Amino acid sequence: MKIEFILNGKKVEVNTDPARRLLDVLREDFGLIGVKEGCGEGECGACAVLIDGKIVHSCLVPVGNVKGKEVTTIEGLKDTEEYKVIHESFLDAGSVQCGFCTPGFVMATYALLKENPQPHEDDIRKAISGNLCRCTGYSMIIDGVKLAAKRGEKLWKD
Amino acid sequence: MGDISKPVRRFDAPEKIMGTARYVDDYFEEEMLFVRIVRSTRPRARIKSIKLPKLPSGYCVVDKNDVPGENRIKMIFDDWPFFAEDVVNFYGEPILAIAGPDREKVYELSNAVKIEYEDIPPIYTIEESEENKRPPIFGENNLFADYFYEKGDPDGAFRDADQIVEEEFRTGFQEHIYLEPQGMIAKYEDGRITVFGSMQCPYYVKNALIKAFGFPEDRIRVVQTTTGGGFGGKEEYPSQIAGIAAFCAYKTGKTVKLVYDRAEDVEFTTKRHPSRIRIKGAIKDKRVVGIEVDIALNAGAYAGLSSVVLQRAMFAATGAYRIDNVRVLGKAFATNIVPLGAFRGFGAPQAIFAIETFMNHVAKKMGEDPVRFKLAHRYKKGDTTATGGLLRSEVRLPEITEKIIEMSEYYEKKKQKEKDGKLYGIGFSMFLHGCGFTGNGEEVLKSIARLKKRKDDKVEILISNVEMGQGPQTTLRKVVAQVLGIPMEDVIYENPDTDKVPDSGPTVASRTAMIVGGLLYRVAKELKEKWKEGEEVVVEKQYRHPEYIKWDQSTFKGDAYPEYSWGANVIEVEVDPLTYEIEVKKAYAVFDLGTPLDKKIIEGQIHGGMLQGIGYATLEVMEFENGRFKQRTITDYIIPTAMDAPLFETDLVVEPYKNGPFGAKCAGELTLVGAAPAVCAAVEDALGINLYEIPIRPEKLLVLMNKEDN
Amino acid sequence: MEGLIPESLDEALEALSERKFIPIAGGTDLMVRYKRWKNLPPSFPSLPLFIGHIAELSGIEKKDDEIVIKAATLLSEIEQSPLVPSILRKAISQMAAPGIRNMGTIGGNIVNSSPAGDTLPPLYVLDAKVVLLSKNERRCLFIYDFITGPGKNQRRDDELLYEVRFKVPKHTHEMYRKVGTRKANALSKLSVAALASSRDGKIDDFRIGFGAVAPTPVRVKSIEEKVKSRHVSELSDDFINEIVNEYGEWIKPIDDQRSTALYRKTVALRLLRAFLLQLKPV
Repeated sequence: MKIEFILNGKKVEVNTDPARRLLDVLREDFGLIGVKEGCGEGECGACAVLIDGKIVHSCLVPVGNVKGKEVTTIEGLKDTEEYKVIHESFLDAGSVQCGFCTPGFVMATYALLKENPQPHEDDIRKAISGNLCRCTGYSMIIDGVKLAAKRGEKLWKD
Repeated sequence: MGDISKPVRRFDAPEKIMGTARYVDDYFEEEMLFVRIVRSTRPRARIKSIKLPKLPSGYCVVDKNDVPGENRIKMIFDDWPFFAEDVVNFYGEPILAIAGPDREKVYELSNAVKIEYEDIPPIYTIEESEENKRPPIFGENNLFADYFYEKGDPDGAFRDADQIVEEEFRTGFQEHIYLEPQGMIAKYEDGRITVFGSMQCPYYVKNALIKAFGFPEDRIRVVQTTTGGGFGGKEEYPSQIAGIAAFCAYKTGKTVKLVYDRAEDVEFTTKRHPSRIRIKGAIKDKRVVGIEVDIALNAGAYAGLSSVVLQRAMFAATGAYRIDNVRVLGKAFATNIVPLGAFRGFGAPQAIFAIETFMNHVAKKMGEDPVRFKLAHRYKKGDTTATGGLLRSEVRLPEITEKIIEMSEYYEKKKQKEKDGKLYGIGFSMFLHGCGFTGNGEEVLKSIARLKKRKDDKVEILISNVEMGQGPQTTLRKVVAQVLGIPMEDVIYENPDTDKVPDSGPTVASRTAMIVGGLLYRVAKELKEKWKEGEEVVVEKQYRHPEYIKWDQSTFKGDAYPEYSWGANVIEVEVDPLTYEIEVKKAYAVFDLGTPLDKKIIEGQIHGGMLQGIGYATLEVMEFENGRFKQRTITDYIIPTAMDAPLFETDLVVEPYKNGPFGAKCAGELTLVGAAPAVCAAVEDALGINLYEIPIRPEKLLVLMNKEDN
Repeated sequence: MEGLIPESLDEALEALSERKFIPIAGGTDLMVRYKRWKNLPPSFPSLPLFIGHIAELSGIEKKDDEIVIKAATLLSEIEQSPLVPSILRKAISQMAAPGIRNMGTIGGNIVNSSPAGDTLPPLYVLDAKVVLLSKNERRCLFIYDFITGPGKNQRRDDELLYEVRFKVPKHTHEMYRKVGTRKANALSKLSVAALASSRDGKIDDFRIGFGAVAPTPVRVKSIEEKVKSRHVSELSDDFINEIVNEYGEWIKPIDDQRSTALYRKTVALRLLRAFLLQLKPV
């Protein structure tokens, strides 16, 4: 089946089984390896992408569901000012260890700050509660989010 | 040159944040074959027959007959086969594998394999294995290891005791849940096998393949890909996957990818050993003067590393306490469960949970405050350890304890019984961790580290230790750069490739910073002397234990470790009085892990290690029933989320180790071992009962509290 | 396997009238239930019919004295809507994780009909009705009549769940408790949703629903009747014990990989007791 959608700002079309996981389409058909498979059950958030600006777990999205929608992956975020702020903040806060979960946390951070530019600690914990990390104990990821909120202040309000 | 501990930006982080770092699953090739392992669906059985579906062209079956060398994974006893031979010993044991170009087809074919079994009575628990009433799995008595050591006169201590306290503790399975599932890519080209993948120990994999193929070592190459967490789970198990992938590549001549689905990873890879630990203490004048610790580990179907895990558990049996009369017994039991294996702490978390909880209970019995009671028993410089080793460095437990008590306001909070309608509790633990390989391990390994100064004056670190999140890409660069007085950016440290790097040993046992880092420090010192601008200079050194270390592996007498790190944890919990749900609210830690090679990286190790320990004590439930785990997906075997994690507050006390780089000691495992007993003590404080088992489930608390009420 | 992505509700209903499909809105439950192996599409039992994008199936509105939520409305939209009673919003805010609430729909949770479906106890106590549409028919059923067993309900193959509707209760007491395996992204060991209202000391409304303690969510109107119209002063220990014991007959949980039957039952009844005690004057 032909399915058209917008991927990282560009119109794309795939001819594929609509039941295929968006995760597989992004990785295998488009080579977007920043989208990771950590579980395939919607538990870990390593495959998080944005659909129409909202965070979702791409392992649970049949590609038939994205017809006509806008899909954004970490690769599509990479050149934005917002991403750069998150990148620098994660570096400085020590938010990264093994890194497998990191792009997912970047997506969750972006989605949170776009909606809530000045989140409290509880808001942050809730916003990243669908992303598992086994290395950091989360504390330094939360520091990274806080730092990004502070540093990007004006950016998030647009 | 600045302070080595001052945090710098991690070298590996930018690519990881951007998502451009390549983990094993991120490599794609045209013409790549996919592999699915067909596994035993019986816990213990003889294979009567295997009926294969008709294979389309391009698809093949690989099994025990396709192992060119020996069908055994090289470890300690070498009893674990890559593919089952006549008998399967655990549910999920690989029997054969199907490789082919289309995953869908591979899946279909693998499901069409029909295997007939003749069941053999299975053995699941330590008790069933101990009773030995069913045909034994290993040897005559199911024992992979049966050890013993003694110090002083334990019998005399028990004879003269005022009181004897006996308790039994249990700990559960724990699954690593590194975020990146296990996986390997294998190729067979020009007569050589090359394996790329997620691993902690490239030379373990290489040596396993040498044995499995019977090839000379120059025909095997192993390359680590960016590894998404290990925690011990990628210590020995990767050899199993590498072997199967490599046999498929050898048979087909194609590139083969074998990456586990998370569900396969949860159910079929190694986990932490469940334990039963019996402690008997001889009490005289309100002090523990003699102790007998009997440790039984459920080791699973094959020996794997269980004997060494058991040794570490035994050497940690008396915790951070000087007890002059000691007897420690240890057994590792074979059962029909997936082989249990390495996991951060490596036997110590079980032992430390038991001794810490025991000490709390005895303190309560004596009417003493557990903190003071523990301090009264603590090791001091010049004391001998349980194995009779000498503590040569200052043991700064009083300072550590003072700091944590103050930081956590322990005594003020201890008075509190309720908070926001919840039952409130606070708990303390004190502990140590032996740095580096246990016993004679480092002597056997004789690790080699090499630095190569290139003509462009950049320096390559050539070691087989890997970055898996714990930070050596950054910390070891710092060590080398600082010694040489060059910018960190001029130090190159790539993921190890056994064609290029010497064997500096596995990335385990918290040894990378202290042992390998220490070795690199000395190599760098020498390189500095030999430095010639514009010329290539290579310096290599082999590790030797310090001369003063004395150890007898046959009697377990002497210095079990060259040095120790120390710590204390305080945990605050709130328990719901209706549901007994446990919330871990705050976690405090003070550690002496020598000089931190980067304060931020150490901070990250502390939080992460403690949260794994907290999960071990609370949420992480894995039950074995009717031959299979009940929790076999990441939906059912759960780890803490950001909403379950506590706030952390940490501090360090620095007692440098003279042979560690800049005084660094061991860090990674130390951070995990003290959390579970502190959680347990906090829950005991909240509910006013004694506990003997982790994980502490609300279901269990409900039963215990109902008993209390009646 | 292929499937169909209809442009409109009519096209979807037309398709359903012709052959069997498995309707997929968010897909968050179905993608896991029919998952096979890494990198493979799930294996659905019949062709997928993708309905998540159909505008007519999404939205929350107030109609007369009822709140109407279309079946494919995202959980995250319901969570944030001021029109929706807090008991349902609380339940949804504790479901899964943000990334799943942005895909999962209320209709999916209802049609999934899991005993542990977290929207169900609130919908039971709200006396919610579900509206089913087929090409030629429209049916309206109470949710507790719609759900018939674990994973079982009255939806016919030619029907789509169209909307769920309920009156907004005017209650004075409310409790929602999910006891999960952890604090986020957790499956329920059990859950309790309860509403009551007492005016001038008289209990004029009392409703309580339990999730994950029986093959379907539990709501027992005959016991509720016993509590209703009592004066709060009549909530003696004996009376409360009697009510708790009566519910005990209906709560029949199982042991599984998440909890034990004993825990589920004991805790469900403890939460019931706690709610009854809330109604008592201090």
